[in-house]
Amino acid sequence: MPQAPPEGVKVRLWDGPVRIVHWLLVALIGFSWWASEDHLDWHQWSGYGVVGLLLFRIYWGFAGSEAARFASFVRGPRATLAYLKTVSARTPSATAGHNPLGALSILALLGLLTVQVITGLFAVDVDAYQGGPLSHMVSFDQGRRLAELHDLSFHGLQALVVLHVAAIVFYLVWKRTNLIGPMITGFRWLPIDPGLARAPLWRLALGVALAGAAAWFISKGLRL
Amino acid sequence: MAVFMSKGAVLAVGMGIGVAIASGATVANSQPAPKAAASPGAKAANMRHENFEKLGEAFKTVIDETKKGEPNKAVVARAAQTMNTLATALPTWFPRGSGVEARAKSEAKANIWTDAAGFSAAAAASQLQVSKLNQAAISGDMNAVRAQIRATGGSCKACHDKYRLEKKS
Repeated sequence: MPQAPPEGVKVRLWDGPVRIVHWLLVALIGFSWWASEDHLDWHQWSGYGVVGLLLFRIYWGFAGSEAARFASFVRGPRATLAYLKTVSARTPSATAGHNPLGALSILALLGLLTVQVITGLFAVDVDAYQGGPLSHMVSFDQGRRLAELHDLSFHGLQALVVLHVAAIVFYLVWKRTNLIGPMITGFRWLPIDPGLARAPLWRLALGVALAGAAAWFISKGLRL
Repeated sequence: MAVFMSKGAVLAVGMGIGVAIASGATVANSQPAPKAAASPGAKAANMRHENFEKLGEAFKTVIDETKKGEPNKAVVARAAQTMNTLATALPTWFPRGSGVEARAKSEAKANIWTDAAGFSAAAAASQLQVSKLNQAAISGDMNAVRAQIRATGGSCKACHDKYRLEKKS
């Protein structure tokens, strides 16, 4: 998908952690879906991975490099409406990072994924044989209801993923802006260098340690 | 423009309330409705549902308790006893005419009755595993109980895979 080299500068947009978390989520969510049928033990392990990635991504939304931060891309209704008016224009997008609409998509995806993992942590299988690591805190009946919600919220998640991919295809085909490449390489050509701040390595190490420890603790049913 | 916006806001709030009421109604509907003159088949189906809930709850108690460092043996024994009683009665929970025709939410597949021999065998297999679990619980050997949990769960699943409808959500 290389395009004619555009005018402008090559900008380091998405840091490594953002890209790794993104593609690991793609892999683990797909795997979890497949394993939900007959491999609930693998489904659980995969789910713990998603818990860790999700916790890290939320942390990184406050501590990460500039384009990863919620404060840099979550906008108010006015800015979102203003962007909405320009979205159909057949001009390449030049937003350095998530545009205001994409920001809503990110929040919805992270929000629903949070619902997904929380319901999964408490869910109980129909045979009562398998359950999430926190299912000992709920009754069988409650655990079954949460399993149904887990199922329902996954349908919502699927819809959001379809929307997300459709938006990227729209940008690629209609606006001739390739958003896939930057999520792989981290680099993007932009008209001007936005001068994005980068995050120091210690913050990455801290986040990995915190999210990993939290996911491990949750997988143990909050028991040491 | 300002008038239009406020109309839009009113509309949005109205729609929000509508959705909230609709979802509230859905939740209300999902509660077991009061049965007016339920047929014998529907009664059997409802009772079966309640019994499976009890069976699941008891099995979950055994599992949760034995995951603890020091399980309460009396709790495990009581739950296993409950399971044993229920599993022994299980084959009687499926009188003819108590399937989806009697209770729309029933997950009983028609082959329970068309393949009665196969169903009986699956139920008996599960009964055997539950009785072993009960014996282990009576002996008070928690490791034996833990070891028997997988076979018990497997026998539940074997029957469910074949004779239970996957509920569409």
